[in-house]
Amino acid sequence: MKVLVAVKRVVDHNVKVRAKADGSDVDLNNVKMAINPFCEIAVEEAVRLKEAGVASEIIAVSVGDKACQEQIRTALALGADRGIQIETEGAVEPLVVAKLLKGVVEKEQPQLVILGKQSIDGDNNQTGQMLGALANMGQGTFASEVKVDGDHVSVTREVDGGLQTVKLKLPAIVTTDLRLNEPRYASLPNIMKAKKKQLDVYTPADLGVEITSHLTQLRVEPPAERQAGIKVESVAQLVDKLKNEAKVI
Amino acid sequence: MSELAVSELSPELVASLEAIVGKDRVLSDADSKAHYGGDWTRVYRPAPCAVVLPGSIEQVQEVVRLAARENLAVVPSGGRTGLSAGAVAYRGELVIALDRLNSISDFNPVERSVRCGAGVITEQLQNFAQEQGLFYPVDFASAGSSQIGGNISTNAGGIKVIRHGMTRDWVAGLKLVTGTGELLDLNRGLMKNNAGYDLRQLVIGAEGTLGIVVEATMRLARPPQDPVVLVLGTPDMASVMEVLEVYQKRMDLQAFEFFSELALQKVVEHQGLQRPFESPTEFYALLEFEQRSEADMELAMELFEHCVEQGWVIDGVISQSVAQAESLWRLREDISETIARWTPYKNDISTTVSKVPAFLAEVESVVNGAYPDFEIVWFGHIGDGNVHLNVLKPDALPKAEFQQRCGEVSRWVFEIVQRYGGSVSAEHGVGLLKKDYLHYSRSALEVDLMRQIKRAFDPAGIMNPGKIFDL
Repeated sequence: MKVLVAVKRVVDHNVKVRAKADGSDVDLNNVKMAINPFCEIAVEEAVRLKEAGVASEIIAVSVGDKACQEQIRTALALGADRGIQIETEGAVEPLVVAKLLKGVVEKEQPQLVILGKQSIDGDNNQTGQMLGALANMGQGTFASEVKVDGDHVSVTREVDGGLQTVKLKLPAIVTTDLRLNEPRYASLPNIMKAKKKQLDVYTPADLGVEITSHLTQLRVEPPAERQAGIKVESVAQLVDKLKNEAKVI
Repeated sequence: MSELAVSELSPELVASLEAIVGKDRVLSDADSKAHYGGDWTRVYRPAPCAVVLPGSIEQVQEVVRLAARENLAVVPSGGRTGLSAGAVAYRGELVIALDRLNSISDFNPVERSVRCGAGVITEQLQNFAQEQGLFYPVDFASAGSSQIGGNISTNAGGIKVIRHGMTRDWVAGLKLVTGTGELLDLNRGLMKNNAGYDLRQLVIGAEGTLGIVVEATMRLARPPQDPVVLVLGTPDMASVMEVLEVYQKRMDLQAFEFFSELALQKVVEHQGLQRPFESPTEFYALLEFEQRSEADMELAMELFEHCVEQGWVIDGVISQSVAQAESLWRLREDISETIARWTPYKNDISTTVSKVPAFLAEVESVVNGAYPDFEIVWFGHIGDGNVHLNVLKPDALPKAEFQQRCGEVSRWVFEIVQRYGGSVSAEHGVGLLKKDYLHYSRSALEVDLMRQIKRAFDPAGIMNPGKIFDL
């Protein structure tokens, strides 16, 4: 079974991001970039499927400029077999990414596509669902457990108020939630082997996709600063403030 | 020295102290005494006569003058994270806790320096530096509690010493209240100052025996770019040293730490962390370097390959994100906390870097030979020759018997330290815990000179008496 995983290059989630002075965007100058944590979980899941003998080949795909090859190499070091970069410039919106991924799906015919449920930069949570619609495949989103059984996959989903299990016919799409697995470290020998793995570069035109933008980013501004707290002298004062100022009790 | 201490303060003395620091700032309840009178060692029971919390340098001076008049011993207290009982009040001393002197002021971007009260918490300074786009590089597991005054008094080291040195290297100036209550303003932030003895340097690491550090001007550094962490598995200690040599020759390392397989097992099991790689190896080296460009990464890889070819490294991982770098650091930093449940007998010893493998093997064979049932956990900052020897208490062995047996271990270990020209306390200080062993590292003449220096700063002998050496 062939598995396709998508990986996105995003700002490292431990970095405190700042807005640019002119408010046009997040300042990405000299900022540490890394693989989107949810995508990392997707790669790990694919590798585990391969280790269990379920998957036969893992293809890691990323959309972006040349720098995103770094994240593809990380996926290759973690256990993906080959990589695909779809070369784009600037920010691309979820619908475009979904269309590009659909192009790859048509080319590669994977039985399972695993994506992160969202990327931590845009927080859109749309690409997996849009790809499902475009490629006419069933989807199991927010997965905390994935079990492949013959030509079906059971996906346990993290939904409000509990867990829901859905059974999908393959080929299908799975988007990962945080509890699905704990990604491994990339070992140094594997990082070196990854350098020799195949990495193909496609243009959107190769996949028959024309990039059109439907979204305009108007402004990026930091969240309002929190007011400093105060120290109360006594329990009575605390209760009084909660009652009369905060009006929460 | 019992005349310097009392179990309870007289009402008159309490009133005098309250007149200086305020009514709520003199504490004598059992909880406060236990809290402010101790540190992370659990060997001596804290038993101060009282605790005062001064709010200004002047108040510290007045309290010390009063103590000098009354011949009352005082113990300065910072974040209370010491590991040698240097800040333990164990026989009726008055604790002066510096917690309230916690303001950060006078940031100077040109000098890259900032003024800190003694009670500023290390992490508070680290965060302040970060907000200014700078970096305070002295870092260790207790940074969230330890205070600058205590760091200076113990010359705290930690995990970045190989690159940034000890606390000493970051003190541009400090203010000290001597045993007579006088205030010394030492070095005043000067970069170059060869006008006589540098008394500042005597105060750093003096464990409060010369006076109380009340304020310091700390230097800040340029923040490291993109720190990358490697964890490498090695077959033996000699290989760890080979790896150190190979990497240090070609790269500026920020840190070079090591730990044993047993240390890793305990941390993984008890902290729920992931092993760096499946195959267990005898020892692990943790390296951190700054990735300024792609070339740094390629060099790190090339050196790794070389180490593998030579058989010095069996497997290894490298952090792919800041989160991974932090998780890998936890494998090393969480060791102390993890093994605390086995009430370990801890030693913080050093020798010159190149002698470490032979030194370690000798210590291990002595301990294993005498007590084959003891588990030994090794870890440390091998890049600066500092290793932490931890002997775990077998569950079945009573605590008293374990401590008595470890006392014997100490003697043997320190005899080896002496033979290797090492130090019985690399970074934890001497305090009460290592006092009896000071002579393994310092000559009688040296200790006698220390006594004379103490008398010059503290003629009445009230400043943290009984620590490091007896007068």
